[in-house]
Amino acid sequence: MRKEPKRYDLVILGRGAAAFSAAIKGSEISNGEMSIALIGTGPLGGTCVNVGCVPSKYLLEASHRVFMPKHPRIDGIYETIVNHDFSTVMKGLRSYVRDARESKYAEVIRNYNNVTLYDGLGKFLDRKTVGIEDDKGRNVRIVSGSNILIATGSRPSIPNIEGLTEAGFLTSDSLWDIDKLPSSVAIIGGGAIGLEIGQALLHFGSRVTIVEAMDSLLPQTESEIGSALRTLLEKEGMKFYMRARISRVHKYRKKKSVEIITHKGKEKIAVDEVLLATGREPNTKNLNLEVAGVKTDPRGMILTEASMRTTSPGVYAAGDCVSKKLFLETLAAREGVIAVSNMFGETANIDYGSSAWAVFTYPQVAGVGMTENEFSKKNGSCLCRTFPLSNLTKASIMGETEGLIKITVDPKDNRIAGMQIMAPNATDMITEGAYAVRNGYTIDDIIATSHIFPSMSEGIKIAAQSFIRDITKMSCCVE
Amino acid sequence: MEVGKVKLRIYGMTCGDCVTKISRSLLEKQGVMDVNISLQEGLGEVEFDPTDLKPGDILKNHVFSRNSHYRATLIE
Repeated sequence: MRKEPKRYDLVILGRGAAAFSAAIKGSEISNGEMSIALIGTGPLGGTCVNVGCVPSKYLLEASHRVFMPKHPRIDGIYETIVNHDFSTVMKGLRSYVRDARESKYAEVIRNYNNVTLYDGLGKFLDRKTVGIEDDKGRNVRIVSGSNILIATGSRPSIPNIEGLTEAGFLTSDSLWDIDKLPSSVAIIGGGAIGLEIGQALLHFGSRVTIVEAMDSLLPQTESEIGSALRTLLEKEGMKFYMRARISRVHKYRKKKSVEIITHKGKEKIAVDEVLLATGREPNTKNLNLEVAGVKTDPRGMILTEASMRTTSPGVYAAGDCVSKKLFLETLAAREGVIAVSNMFGETANIDYGSSAWAVFTYPQVAGVGMTENEFSKKNGSCLCRTFPLSNLTKASIMGETEGLIKITVDPKDNRIAGMQIMAPNATDMITEGAYAVRNGYTIDDIIATSHIFPSMSEGIKIAAQSFIRDITKMSCCVE
Repeated sequence: MEVGKVKLRIYGMTCGDCVTKISRSLLEKQGVMDVNISLQEGLGEVEFDPTDLKPGDILKNHVFSRNSHYRATLIE
């Protein structure tokens, strides 16, 4: 006979960004009365703080501080070699992650007496009931929830490549434990994760080779940005194999031999380490979703409405386990809030169209809304302008002219439909684009808004002005 | 047609007046037939005419709105 379940108002599977934001929102709305069970395995905080945004940005920032003084961009400033110890940098990184996890997650949740943490894997027993298994697969507890939120996140996907397991490899989960910089690395995958980690290792001094199956980098971006970033990374010394795949990896002595197939045929490279960055897969396989009536797409990602309701009444999903195009910590947190708001009878929907995304290479890449192609496909036509940073005073002063700003506009009413930026601080600049897309601002609204001269964000104003005049003939003070 | 029934978890109730206020507000809604609220358990049972209302509509009441002291979720 099954044990009587412990009852909660809300059961949350997972304990990353989506789970935490949902638990906190539920606690706030109910003034701490909502009883919440937070069930999960692994360290508190999930991907972002432990193995995602936080350590990768730490590593990138540290690597730039080694690389930039070696490559000055202003006349009269001379090359400086920065002494550094990679092992100490990695110790610092792990210590920062531990502190961030403690202060932003563990300490925070301790303040919520209505939230109970359970260590273990939550599996549906029926639509309202979840069994919790320990690491030996034993069912240690049963809980039930009036509402259930699935926020179990994702993990790196491991492609089926001959010899890979035997040779060993790193992923964006395991990289953070290394203490010695690999002198050469083959990174499989030229998406955001591959390029960020690749540039960080390159800036510390590794020889980095990226193997990408597609013919362009960052397929979600405008093609101008993908190719501009590739040119810049190649200048820094990164090597690319495009439209390529790995057929075999094998270990010999302390090195790894990687066999790459391109349209030119087979080629072998020898590297110290192989790092997989071929995408992520949802943590949904072991949840018994079928007994709860929760449906997934063919990749195992949970199907939801914009309200974050799944196909099963009373069961919601949020975060990287949800079927969608953008996988972001910020979006996961928002989805958690949307799900809980709807549990309380509000009418809240997620807005993917105005969610800004970013790639933290140097220069950074960030975007919001639709690309030129996406808008044209949907509406038949569009207006767009690309403004190169070489025309921007602040960028020229900084010697950072490789980037660009591209704006896509709805020709019907001049509303901003999308914006993409490649610039040293694109992740900060893109917020202006997010406001514009979310609130339906036009290019005239951007032009009429005061921007500081000289600044990088002034580039957005000039990009908007390029819709109405030839900016190559424009003085820098024209409104 | 069978009468619809939902169970609510109600947050923010502190006294009998809260029960009266919430009950009255729920009963004002077209289609709500009967309301039973337990202050002790923080629970409520609502009977409604399914031709007028869906279960989720019970929560769309000003007594549970963002500005209200009371909030609720559906249990069943």
